[in-house]
Amino acid sequence: MNLLDQFFVIVAVALISIAMLRNIKVNSIVSTLWYVLMVVMLARMSSVAYNADTITSAFSIELLGFRMYWKFTALSWFFSIITVVSALASSLFMSGDWGKQYRQQGGNYGLLQLALILNVVSMLILLASGDLLSLFIGWEFVSWASFLMMVLMPSKTAKKAAVKYVIYAIVGAMALLAALAMVYASSGSLDFTQITDAFIQMTDNMKFGFVLLFFIGFAIKMGLLPFHLWQAVAYAETPGPGAAFLGAISSRMGLFTILVVIVQFIGLGNLEEMNIALPYLNMKSLLAWIAALTTIIPTYIALQQHDAKRLLAWHGVGQGGYMLLGIMMYDSIGSAGGLMHVLNHASYQAALFLTVVAVVYRTGTSDLNKLGGLVTQMPLTFLVMLIGIIGLAGLPPMNGFVSKWMVYRSLLVNGEPLLFVAAVLGTLGTILSVYKLIHNTFLGQLRVEHQQVREVPWSMMVPMLGLSVIVFITGFMPGLILPWIASIQETIGLPVVTYHLGGIEYAKGGLDMIWVSGILFYGFGVGALIFYFLGGKAKRIHQYDNYAGGHFLSSEVKYHYSNNFYPGLMHLIGNWYRGSFKWMENVIVSALSFVSKLFENMYRSRQPVMLLVLVAVVALFSIYKNYSGAGS
Amino acid sequence: MNHLILLVVLPLLSAFIIPVVAKHSLTISRLIGPVVLVFILALVVLSWNSVGSNGFAIFLGGFLPPVGIVFYIDHFSLMLSGLIAGMLLIVWPWNSYVAPRQYSLYMLLTAASFGLVLSADLFNLYVFYELLAVATYGLIARQKNPAAAVAALRYLFVSATGSAMLLLGIAIIYTLTGTLNIAHLATMTDQLHGLAGLSAFALIVIGAGVKAEMFLLNTWVPEVYSTIETPLAALLAGLISKLATVLIIRVLLMLFQQSEVLQMLLVVGVFGVISGEMVAWRAKDMLRMLSFSSIAQLGMIFIAFSIAGEVGLWIGLAMMLHHLLVKGGLFLLADKMQGSFDNLRGYAKRSAMAVAIFIIFILSLLGIPPFPGFWIKLMLILNLAEQNNTLYHYAIGFILLATVIEAAYLFKLVRYLFQDEEAATIVSTPKSLTFWYAQIFALVLLVSLAFISPISNRLKDMASQVANPDIYINTILPSHLSGGNP
Repeated sequence: MNLLDQFFVIVAVALISIAMLRNIKVNSIVSTLWYVLMVVMLARMSSVAYNADTITSAFSIELLGFRMYWKFTALSWFFSIITVVSALASSLFMSGDWGKQYRQQGGNYGLLQLALILNVVSMLILLASGDLLSLFIGWEFVSWASFLMMVLMPSKTAKKAAVKYVIYAIVGAMALLAALAMVYASSGSLDFTQITDAFIQMTDNMKFGFVLLFFIGFAIKMGLLPFHLWQAVAYAETPGPGAAFLGAISSRMGLFTILVVIVQFIGLGNLEEMNIALPYLNMKSLLAWIAALTTIIPTYIALQQHDAKRLLAWHGVGQGGYMLLGIMMYDSIGSAGGLMHVLNHASYQAALFLTVVAVVYRTGTSDLNKLGGLVTQMPLTFLVMLIGIIGLAGLPPMNGFVSKWMVYRSLLVNGEPLLFVAAVLGTLGTILSVYKLIHNTFLGQLRVEHQQVREVPWSMMVPMLGLSVIVFITGFMPGLILPWIASIQETIGLPVVTYHLGGIEYAKGGLDMIWVSGILFYGFGVGALIFYFLGGKAKRIHQYDNYAGGHFLSSEVKYHYSNNFYPGLMHLIGNWYRGSFKWMENVIVSALSFVSKLFENMYRSRQPVMLLVLVAVVALFSIYKNYSGAGS
Repeated sequence: MNHLILLVVLPLLSAFIIPVVAKHSLTISRLIGPVVLVFILALVVLSWNSVGSNGFAIFLGGFLPPVGIVFYIDHFSLMLSGLIAGMLLIVWPWNSYVAPRQYSLYMLLTAASFGLVLSADLFNLYVFYELLAVATYGLIARQKNPAAAVAALRYLFVSATGSAMLLLGIAIIYTLTGTLNIAHLATMTDQLHGLAGLSAFALIVIGAGVKAEMFLLNTWVPEVYSTIETPLAALLAGLISKLATVLIIRVLLMLFQQSEVLQMLLVVGVFGVISGEMVAWRAKDMLRMLSFSSIAQLGMIFIAFSIAGEVGLWIGLAMMLHHLLVKGGLFLLADKMQGSFDNLRGYAKRSAMAVAIFIIFILSLLGIPPFPGFWIKLMLILNLAEQNNTLYHYAIGFILLATVIEAAYLFKLVRYLFQDEEAATIVSTPKSLTFWYAQIFALVLLVSLAFISPISNRLKDMASQVANPDIYINTILPSHLSGGNP
């Protein structure tokens, strides 16, 4: 039993014990402890992440002439640690008072914990897959585990979203299966290495089909354009901590498989040689553009949302674009930025989701038009959200800045000004909408009905604070993460980044976050000194003592500006929201409906015997034609 | 080993004596059928090991082939016989209000099914096929609702026309060769591969295709399955359709193995899959949905059989067994869950177990790992991809597309099942027996997961036995081996 085997034994025992334990309290504690143990086990395996080793499990299955086996590489380890830590945070969050409230509202707490561990297990199986067949099976496990998580909410929208997700997931799975068939047809085996061989043997047209099939399969999970419609609603409609977990890591499984199949085994160099329209567009730049559009469109859809969970979920879709964009640059800092963004996004996204869930826990709503002013009641939650949105918007000193900076720098260095503009456009939308999020929730005047609201209990506060510490520390010292990134780049054949504790060394301008943060805090410090010691006397005023639009607001006139946020901007870009993708979805459904109506009429035929005779006549005639043709 | 002839004789005999016995004792007449079926099941199980890898032949009436009636028995036909007996025991109408005449019809159906599986000459195949059809008309027409009567009439018209074509095809073959013994025919295939021979084959396929739910010949399916009682639908969809398929496959393998014929089968299969799934997508009630899905599954089986050689055969066999288990189970389950989707709203609250089983079945039907359906679909798709013919590659695309549509409608139904509103009306009173059977089917499906390797090996052995015409010829016509002309 090597470390990986032990790890999987622990994971399996964890799954069984969580499934069996009926006692809610014991279940909560035990499941959290299991995740801690998993983190410890991953730490013991960290040589994988630091030295780019591979651990292969002794366990394998031979079935129908295929051998399935499982292994851990730097890439698997990186995604696994994110998965397990997100699960730990979610599990801890729901273990205390949140879980109590969930049960009181009629939720099945045991099932939620089970869904969480099932998601974790299936993701670990996928991440450890050693060949295409085990990858496909792990892929399907992940799909169905997230489906289980999505159907836990009783609401109608949740079920609708989950069923929509199933259809998208099946489309993806079928695309993958077709790609698998292509690999098998050329080599008779489903090893990863056969992908490369199969690709080389193909004609140009087949290559396009091959790459696109894989890409469609993976892109659907990641919610890349044009497959972005399912994700946000489905994730937002899961029970709180479940949404945090799914939003943090679930859809990144698509990125993992893109990295394994498309980057490692097909090779970005090969994609570059696949010209679509000379000399402007090749396969690699096509994928880069898909990524860039994914950063823009979902982000601006997020801007329109007035439900906090949906707003965040749409950002989750959009941020996926940055990851792929960085990787598609095929250089050391771009891909390092893309990979780092997976971890960074997971940390702040989980923290943000948890803050929203905390607000829902106290106020009962995540509708941004029904909140406001909560900063006085829930200051720590506010702090976590502040840290989270700084990360999401990609501003220093949080970790989101580091990864986004690396992607931007890579875009500029590689001479991609248009992609750069697209990425900046995405960030602009992000900043606007995260401001909307924090303003509508925490700033402005407190609503009367929320005056009794208190800060959330510590069982919920600890995971939120823990995540925000990660957001800050990995932003302050990216060098903690970068060795893992370098190992991944080595494993999957990308140029390797040069790093130090504060950031990266790069010939065309490196980054040292310790300096950046230092100067930032220095600036704040100087400002504070001037403000507090040299300025006049500070006066504390009440939250209600405020003004808006030139009017003073007092405690009699309560006013919080939240509805129709950014009217000026919406006046400019509002016409762009046309729901074209929804329209496309409907077109497909209508076309299908039309064709199936034809078939239905055939089955309802009033003259079945005539139909039968007709078939016989046609069959005999065609045989006759064939024969007289062949005879002459 | 000649006692295996009892498989046909006993049910036939009991079919005739049941009405007579019923005049004296209703209880005994009710027991005859199950007793016979259990006896046959035991017979099949006991003689399993004594059948060698070559199979053996039973010559009736002392006439040696090519004259006289011949039964051919190998592991494949034994397995089908066991399934027939088991399936009939499961759908056996235990209810006391059933008239003894219906028991007779069931026994007639049993005898015909066994005959269809065992017969080794075309004429007997035709006879048993007709017998099967007659028994089925009777069973469908005996249903209490008027819609079933209309459906039975439709079925009668289509099926009778099909039978006539089957007979015409057989007659052409007889005119060409002067024999109807399949083994004998297999020795003179060159005489059959002409215009007349192929036309005869086309007619046979069309005739048998009516019951095999082949595309364009299956217009009776939705009406019948959605109006008759669900256990009978489970029998027809699960088993009888497969027997007709077996007939087509036997004739195809022995007499007409040509790539054009296989491709024709492929095209028909693809149309079946696409049309079945698409119309099932429009269906608004459970039974209709299941019957169209059954059409699609049969199409998939045809696609599997269209792959030349043993591979196609064993995948097709695996699909047949899987479909028998899953669709049979779903129809049995539908006994509890029938009606329009609106009536099934919130069903999960009333019977969580039923919904859980339903989900297991549909996941396997869709081919979601790790369920058995996944491995079968995987093998099918990978082997289609290996064929050197773009037609087969297009078929993959259609299968995958059909799976998406299938997922769409099945999960639309799942959404209804989990909706919170209480059902508008109470659906039919639960019959617990069929529900138990459905549970057993689901259990078998799950247990088979642990035995994928041994099962697939068994099926491969069976397939290599069935796919090899030489074994068949040598067993039935040993004189042919020595070179003598019989």
